[in-house]
Amino acid sequence: MFVKCIGALCILSASMWWSNLQIAKLKARVQQLEAFRLGLRLLAAEVGYTATPLPRALGQVAKQTEAEGVSAFFHVVSHNLQEEKFSDAAAAWLAAVETMRGRLQLEAKDWMVLSRAAAGLGGLGRDDQLKQLAATEALLAAHAAEAAANFTGSEKMWRYLGVLSGMAVVILLL
Amino acid sequence: MVKDWRKHILPFLPPPVQSILTALEPAAVCRVEEIRLRAGQPLILETNEGEIFLGPEGLVADPGPAYRVTREDLHQILLQMTEFSLYARDEELKRGYLALPGGHRAGFAGRVVLEQGQVKLLRDLNSINLRLAREVKGAALGLLPHVYCREKKRVRHTLIVSAPQAGKTTMLRDLARLLSDGDERSGRPGFKVGIVDERSELAGCYQGKPQLDVGMRTDVLDGCPKAEGMMMLVRSMSPQVVVTDELGRPEDVQAVEEVVNTGASVLTTAHAYNVRELIRRPSLAYLLENGLFERVIILSRRQGPGTIEMTYAGTSLAEWLQTEEGNVC
Repeated sequence: MFVKCIGALCILSASMWWSNLQIAKLKARVQQLEAFRLGLRLLAAEVGYTATPLPRALGQVAKQTEAEGVSAFFHVVSHNLQEEKFSDAAAAWLAAVETMRGRLQLEAKDWMVLSRAAAGLGGLGRDDQLKQLAATEALLAAHAAEAAANFTGSEKMWRYLGVLSGMAVVILLL
Repeated sequence: MVKDWRKHILPFLPPPVQSILTALEPAAVCRVEEIRLRAGQPLILETNEGEIFLGPEGLVADPGPAYRVTREDLHQILLQMTEFSLYARDEELKRGYLALPGGHRAGFAGRVVLEQGQVKLLRDLNSINLRLAREVKGAALGLLPHVYCREKKRVRHTLIVSAPQAGKTTMLRDLARLLSDGDERSGRPGFKVGIVDERSELAGCYQGKPQLDVGMRTDVLDGCPKAEGMMMLVRSMSPQVVVTDELGRPEDVQAVEEVVNTGASVLTTAHAYNVRELIRRPSLAYLLENGLFERVIILSRRQGPGTIEMTYAGTSLAEWLQTEEGNVC
C-alpha cells in the first residue's frame, strides 16, 4: 500500500510538473516578447538620440535587457557584426535568429516578425530606421498582447489538467 | 612627411583591393593623393605625377589588366565605413562624404534620394573617391610673415585663394597649427584658435577627435555650418583667431563680418584661379570692397601644391585692384 501511495504521489507530481512547464512556457513567451519590445525601444533610442552604430548599440541593448535569452540574442547580433563574418547587418540579424530559435519560447509567427525586422537594418537613414524599428515593435506588441491573453486564459486550464490527468492515471492504475 | 595612410584605409576595403594596396611599393604609397573606385571601372590611384592603374599584380600601364571595381565592392566599403549603420553617418552622407580615421575622407557619388527638394540619402553608389589627408608640417612657414604682424603681435584678416587641389586647406591647417602653438624663439605668442570645420577637412575629425595636428590652443567645431559655427565659437570659446575653409555663401560672409567686429582675426579660403574670378562673386567682392581682409594670398600648384603666386595687402578693393593690374594677367 505504501509503495502504491508513493507511486501515486510520483505520478501526480510528474503531471503537475508537466503542467507547470506548459504554464512557464506560456509565461516565458509573454516575457520574452515584452523584452524584445523593450530591446527594440532601447535600440531606437540609441539610433535616434546618439546615432550609435549598430555593433555598439546592440551591445548596449544586450547589457540593458534583463531577460537572459533576449539579451543573448542582441549580444549575438552585435558579436556577428563585430566579427565581420556577415556582409551586412540584416545577415547578422538573421543568423542570430537561427542561432536563438531553439533557445527561446517564441512561436514561429513571432520569429517571422523578428526575421522581418532584419530588412533594411543598418541600411536606412535615421528617420526610416526608426520607423522600421517602431513597426517591428508594434507587431511584437500585438503578439505580446495575444500571448498575455493566451496565458491568462490557459493558466488555470493547464493547472487543472495537470492535477486531473495525474489523478486519472492514478485511478486507472489502482 | 607623408604618413602611410594604409593602416587607416585598408580595413574599409574589400579583400582584393586590400591585397593590391598592401603590395604597393612605399615610394608609390607616398605619392598617392586619391584612390578612385568606380563601379565596373579600373582601380585608379591619383598621384602628384598623374594616374596609376592597379591590377592584381601591382602597377599596370593601361586599364585593360587593371582590377575592375564591382558595385558590391562599393557597397561593402560603405557598410564598413558606417559600421553597418548608414543612419549613424547620414548627415555626412547627405553632403556626399564621410570622415575617416587619420583625417582622410571618402567622397561618394550615386543615386540621390530627395525629400521635399532636399537630399535625403545617397544610394546605389557608383563611385567612391578616397581623398588622403596630407599633413605637411611647416608648409605655411612662408605664409606666416604675411599673416602674422610682428609689430602689433596680431594676426591679420587673411583670405587664401586658389584653384582646387592647390594646397589651400593644407596651408590653412598649418597656419592654424603655427599660430596656435606659437614660437618662443621668435617671440611669436600662441593664439587661441577656433576652427569651424564644416566638412571635417581642416582638422580631419573622426568621432569628434582631430586626427591632424592643428595646434595645442585650438578648439575645433566639427561638422558645423560655417556661419553658425563662427558665432558659436566666438560666444563660447573666445578665440583670437577664427579659421574656416571655403568661404562662399552670403551667410558665411555675414558671419565673417560679425567675427571681425568682435575683435577676432579671420583666416579663411576661397576657390578661385585669380583675383578677377574672385571679385566676380558678389559676396566675396563685398568683403574686399569693405577692406575686410588685410591680406589676400593667391596659391597655385605651379611648383607643387602651395606655391605662393601673389600676396595682396590693402584695405580697400580699389587699392587692391591697382596692385592687381600691375601683377595679374
